[in-house]
Amino acid sequence: MAHQAHAYHMVDPSPWPLTGAIAALLMTSGLAVWFHFHSTTLMILGTILLLLTMFQWWRDVVREGTFQGHHTPPVQKGLRYGMILFITSEVFFFLGFFWAFYHSSLAPTPELGGCWPPTGITTLDPFEVPLLNTAVLLASGVTVTWAHHSIMEGERKQAIQSLTLTIALGFYFTFLQAMEYYEAPFTIADGVYGSTFFVATGFHGLHVIIGSMFLAVCLLRQIHFHFTSEHHFGFEAAAWYWHFVDVVWLFLYISIYWWGS
Amino acid sequence: MAARLLIRSAVRAATTCRAAPVPALTRGMAAGGIPTDEEQATGMERIVMKAMKEGADPYSMMKPKEYAGSKADPHLVPSITNKRIVGCVCEEDNTAVVWFWLHDGEAQRCPSCGSHYKLVAHELPH
Repeated sequence: MAHQAHAYHMVDPSPWPLTGAIAALLMTSGLAVWFHFHSTTLMILGTILLLLTMFQWWRDVVREGTFQGHHTPPVQKGLRYGMILFITSEVFFFLGFFWAFYHSSLAPTPELGGCWPPTGITTLDPFEVPLLNTAVLLASGVTVTWAHHSIMEGERKQAIQSLTLTIALGFYFTFLQAMEYYEAPFTIADGVYGSTFFVATGFHGLHVIIGSMFLAVCLLRQIHFHFTSEHHFGFEAAAWYWHFVDVVWLFLYISIYWWGS
Repeated sequence: MAARLLIRSAVRAATTCRAAPVPALTRGMAAGGIPTDEEQATGMERIVMKAMKEGADPYSMMKPKEYAGSKADPHLVPSITNKRIVGCVCEEDNTAVVWFWLHDGEAQRCPSCGSHYKLVAHELPH
């Protein structure tokens, strides 16, 4: 087995980076085709290819780590750095939208009526559904920590239950937010208020969905005995991502829903 | 509700048997249902795990051991073949590294600072 003199993982050649790059090309050019020629075919093809790439690439990572044992301590350390750097890049992504919000709301222009919220905008009551959403995400942070401790302590049933509860709370948040979007008295087209509100909360919602998918994969893996009580980095990465999503919501709630109302 | 959940899990945590010094046969699948690395680690991860438990470092994951570099206490350089390149940073913070091949046999000396280096055979787990 060990023909190498180091503990790192020299990955076997893989087609997924290429298919991922092709997917990115098809999605972006497909977007342009949609705008100009009213056809979504190319973009949809790109999206399907992207989903296939993600599924097969990450399936291969699970095979390499769990089934083949390539994830030695130095390899795991690298994966940890990778996830931390990725989440950091996402922090900067959201920072941009918060910058846009504060730029627009701290010095509202005459076109808005010189005030924030702008004239004519009925904001959502921060103490209704948004507060419930805050409680839901905070609770999901508790349940995901419960799941982690269950895994570390070898409690299979509790790990599955708490992880399922976390995912359920995530879906509940998404459902509530979707209802809010439907019922909101303003749209994305309603000036800079609408733009900052829906782009910031919209990207956040997308990240909740992504985080829920990540946790769901972890649940499936936990059910199939992939994780050990000492080695379960996939789960830890999902939990970090979930906490990040929670923190972003807290900032959104304080800034846009509460201060901005 | 969260408080009740936390208290419940804290009680279970306090009463459950913990990982460390318990032999593999009596915990893991039998105890809580989540396997341990001892039961389930495979491939390179298992090799590294077993070696670390014995205090061995076959894949040079740890910092090299420190030696005086004298004739009586030469730097011992592990190698999987009969020669290895050595880079000597003669004094701390030196930016010019002195590179040379170290061959099997008698200890060699760094051409710059004279520290002694001796090649030792290094076995890789198979």
